[in-house]
Formats: sequence, structure tokens, C-alpha cells
Amino acid sequence: MARSNRPVPQGSEMSGGTATLPPPAVRPRRRHPGTVRLGNLAIGVAMPIALLALWQASARFNILPEQILPPPQAVIGVLRDGWNDGSLQANTLVSLGRVANGFLAGGVIGLLVGVVLGLSAAWRAMVQPLFLTLAQVPILGWLPILILISGLGDTPKIIAIGWSTFVPVVLNTSQGIAQVPRSLLELGDVLSFSRWSRLRSIILPSAVPQIFTGLREGLANGWQTLVAVELLGSFSGLGYMMAYGRQLFQLEMVLAAVVVVGLIGVLLYLFLGFIERRLLRWQAGRS
Amino acid sequence: MIRIRVTTFLASLGVALTGLALPAMAQTTTIRIGYPGVGIDNRPYGYGDYPSIAAVGKYIEAEFKNQPNVKVTWTFFRGAGPALNESIAAGQIDFAAGLGDLPSIVGKSRGLNTEYLAAGGIHSPLYLAVPANSTITSIDQLRGKRVAEFRGTNLQMATDRVLQVHGFSEKDIRFISLDMNSATAALVSGAIDASFGGSEYLDLAKRGIVKIIYSTKGDDPTLGAESGIVVTTAFEKAHPDLTEKVVRGFVLAAKYGSDEANRQAVFAIWAKSGLPAGSFAADFKDERLAHRDSPVIDPYLIARYKDQVAHAKAYHLITNTVDVDSWFQPKYLNEALAELKLQNYWPTYDSRGNKLTDGAVEQTRAAGE
Repeated sequence: MARSNRPVPQGSEMSGGTATLPPPAVRPRRRHPGTVRLGNLAIGVAMPIALLALWQASARFNILPEQILPPPQAVIGVLRDGWNDGSLQANTLVSLGRVANGFLAGGVIGLLVGVVLGLSAAWRAMVQPLFLTLAQVPILGWLPILILISGLGDTPKIIAIGWSTFVPVVLNTSQGIAQVPRSLLELGDVLSFSRWSRLRSIILPSAVPQIFTGLREGLANGWQTLVAVELLGSFSGLGYMMAYGRQLFQLEMVLAAVVVVGLIGVLLYLFLGFIERRLLRWQAGRS
Repeated sequence: MIRIRVTTFLASLGVALTGLALPAMAQTTTIRIGYPGVGIDNRPYGYGDYPSIAAVGKYIEAEFKNQPNVKVTWTFFRGAGPALNESIAAGQIDFAAGLGDLPSIVGKSRGLNTEYLAAGGIHSPLYLAVPANSTITSIDQLRGKRVAEFRGTNLQMATDRVLQVHGFSEKDIRFISLDMNSATAALVSGAIDASFGGSEYLDLAKRGIVKIIYSTKGDDPTLGAESGIVVTTAFEKAHPDLTEKVVRGFVLAAKYGSDEANRQAVFAIWAKSGLPAGSFAADFKDERLAHRDSPVIDPYLIARYKDQVAHAKAYHLITNTVDVDSWFQPKYLNEALAELKLQNYWPTYDSRGNKLTDGAVEQTRAAGE
């Protein structure tokens, strides 16, 4: 119905041709999202609530010893005390700072390397095997070497976070770029685009979804790596909070840190998704 | 007549069978002992205290050699005291042997129902290690230096006390949270300036990897670290008879580990952990085995634990205080000492660490001495 009522663009073949490309990207967003998102939201909320109820029940009926699984109130208490004395914000900020630095460094370098590898088959053939081999080593394997080289300060932590961001960003960016549809590239040739505008107008936009997959994965990796590196050789941050809580047998402190880490992880994920949608919409609007 | 006989026969057969079946059907009780540590490369051996001698020498098992339905298991926890506490909370451990003062206080304060039965390794000295090429030559030069600290362990408390006695506050030192192994690596690579630790550093010093510039030996007698034998209240209430025998086994192990005639044998037992016997010889230089392997609960031990509770509270490591007087249950220890006629075997010390009474063990001599 909606389709038939739409004013059919008058005139050139070109606009008719491109019109078939963007609408599918825009239109489903307007039709389904309401229902799908509400449903998703309900499911997404129901699960944590069910777990929370189970947790509360476990505490209420002493299914697990309270020293092992403290009641939710105890965790809330730790969060409140931490907020009131400022230690929670301080630890969170330290961790966010480390992730921001590592993610920015790893993300930017990863994007550049990914673009180069995506554009050049020769570079890909030369670098990819070594890169894939190094990427298989878990970050904790690098840590002793990192500490030996760069000491125990923030540097090895940021490098570790940067590396764990770098790997998926490079892989996804290069793949996204290498897989730009031939037809689009030929279109650029027809329009005799310069190398730069080809990259800017065709290659990057069509690789955006894959690039963002890499960035999202990189952010999740970086955030997880943060916790691992802060458990070791650290005196601040959410990972340290977990290590300390376990040392002192205050598992509610561990769980409080888990809650904060999880919440921030979700927020960052949503934020990246938001930017990605903006970019896609902007790109669709442009064409 | 015949009918009666058959019935009698059947009845007596039934009784006989029941009599045979009963002991076999009696439930097997497992005594689960946990030890807060492992040897090099996770070897299931402890060192430096008498509970590790009890494990190797099977002293607890020996107490139950006539009770085949009682089994004894030993678990060595790589995660040390905190991991052992978690295991106690989960109901997987009945006895903690050689559990450090702070972890046991933290556990008790968090509501783990335990009874403190005996000392389980006391007066453990602390060594201050620096990189081999360090210019630091005395503990008084630590101001502003990067020092490793394994937070939440009794090593932290002991470190803090040493620094306090030497006029430092927590703010004078840049602490880096590291566990023992990472601290050693960081020390070697120069990422930290100094680290407090146990006898593990003696071997590294001998190999020229680090330098030992200070030890608590010969310093204030209250500076060492203490540990104990702890039982869960649930086990003690359910099996006082077994608890009694377990304590007896530990006391016998402590006696063996305190006798100077066994000095080299004791070092050899500890060397099963992977640390060379020579480092124990260095650790115990000019010190009697009994100084550390005494199971006795004396005014010194009680004062140390009360002091540790107060410190843990002051550092916010615990929120609920621990009543040491009701936690300590020397009943089983005293029974074992009386039964084995060892009441005067070990020396006792007053709350400040000065000798209170002499012990017979001090007359023992090492071979060739």
C-alpha cells in the first residue's frame, strides 16, 4: 500500500536505479522496529529479572552460603557505600580511562591497518598469516612480556587493551573493504572517481556495517581485557576491586564490580550501535 | 521340635548376618583437610610449617589406622587462604591446616563457623628482597619506593607492621598489588624496588637474582606471621571424637618437626615442595625448629591474634570484629598434650614475645651438634 502511494520519482534512469538501493535500508526500520524492539526489550528485561528473583530466592532460602553468593541487598550496599565515599566512581573512571586510551589507540591503528590490508591484496598476502598467528595468542600470554618491557604502570594495560581491540578491528575492516561489491566499484570507475573519492564515497560506506562489527567486538574485547589486566599488578580500577574483594572474602564487592562492568559494557555497545545507525542513515540520506 | 530348631537357626543366622553387615554398612566419614598453598609448579606439598610435615608423614591418617571407615584427604590450595576460605564456605573442607592469621580472621569475621584448635606455624619471618643491583641497603631507605604488596593477605598485615615499626606510614611507600610470583618477576625486571616475602626469596638470593637486605629475625619478636589449625564448627560438633584424634595427629607432627634431631629430615620433607633444602637451612639459621613448629596456644599467640583483629579492623579489611577468646578452643590441644605428656615440651612466650617458660624440646640436639 505505502509503496504504491509513494510519489514515483520523475525523470532520470539514474535516480530510479539508485532508488532501489537505499529504501530497503530505511524502510524496514520504520515498519518492524516498534514491535520487534518492544518484544526484544521485554525478553531482554525478563531474563535479568528472572535471574534476580532466583538470586534473591537463593539468598532468602540459603541455597548457597551467603559468603559465596551474597544477597542482592549486600551488593547494592557495596555500590551505595562505594558511591558515597567516591571509591566506586574513582575505580570506574580509572578503568574507563584505560579502556578509552587502549580502544582509541587500538581502534585508530586497527582502522588504518585494516584499510590498507583491505585495499591491497599484496599487503594482505604478506601480513595476514603472521597477524593471524599472533592474534591466536590470548592476551594473558602477552602480559608477562609486556610487563617486562613496559613495567607495571598503565602502559602495559593500555597496550594489552589496545591489542585486543586492534585484532578484530583489523580483521573486520580489511574483510569489509575487500568485500565491497564489484558493481559499486565499477560504478565508481564509470563515474571516473578519484582514488580518494572512491574510498570515501563507495568503499568506506559500504564497509561500515562490517567495520562497526569489528569496533564493537574490539570494544567488548578491550573491556574484558581490562578486567584481566587489572587483576594483576594494579592498585585501582574495577578489575582490582574484584581481586581485592576476593582476597578479603567479600564476594559482594566482586559482584558489585561485575554489575558495573556489565552495565558499562552494555552502554558502550549501545553507544556504538547508535553511532553506526547515524552513519548509515547519513550515508543513506546522502545518496 | 524341628520347627523350633529351624526357627532358632534362622533367627541366629539373621542375628549373625546383621552383626556382620552392620560394621560394613556403617557410613564412611571423610576428614577433608585443606592447606593454604602449593609447592613450586603446583606440587601438592607445603613447607616451612608442621602441618606440611603432618601431610607428608601421614600423621592424621595414622590416628585412624584402626578405623577403616574413616578417610583423610588433603587439598592444597594454590589460591592460598582466600581460596581455602571459599572452600570452607562451600562446605568442602573440614580442617584448615596452617591457615594464616588474616585469612582465618577474615573468614571468621564473615560468618564462617570455625574453631581455632592450635597454632599451625608461628613466628614466620619476613624477608625484604631488592633487585641484585639495587642501591637500597636498609629498610629505612624505602621511603617513596615501589614495594609489592599482596593485599588482603597476612603478608600485607605483616608488611604493614614492619614498616610501622620502622616509622613509615602507608603513604610513605608506593605499594603495588602483586602476588608472590608476579612480585618476584617484577623485582627481577626492576619494575618494583622491593618486596617483602617468605623463605622463597632465600633461594633467589643464593642464586644472585635478588638481595636480602632485612629480615624480621632478631627484630621486634612480634613481627612474624602466624597461622593455625582451624576446624569447622559443624565438623567439631558432629565428630568430637575424630577432632580429638586429628589434633593428636597434628601434635605428633609438631613434635617431630620441633625435635632438633630431625632437623635435616624436616628440611628434606619441606624440599618436596620444590624449594631446595638449603633455603630452609638458611631460613632457620640460628633458630630452633620449635620456635616455629610449636602448636601451643600461649599468651603470645592470643595477643598476636587480638592485635591482628584490631589491625584488620583499622585497615577496613574486616567490618565485624572477631572475639578471639571464644574462637580459640584449646580443649582438644590440651587433651592431646596431656595424653602425650607433652605439656612442658614446648616453650611459651608472653604477649610481647618474651620467653615465659622453657620447654623440654630445647634440650634436643641436632645430629653432630
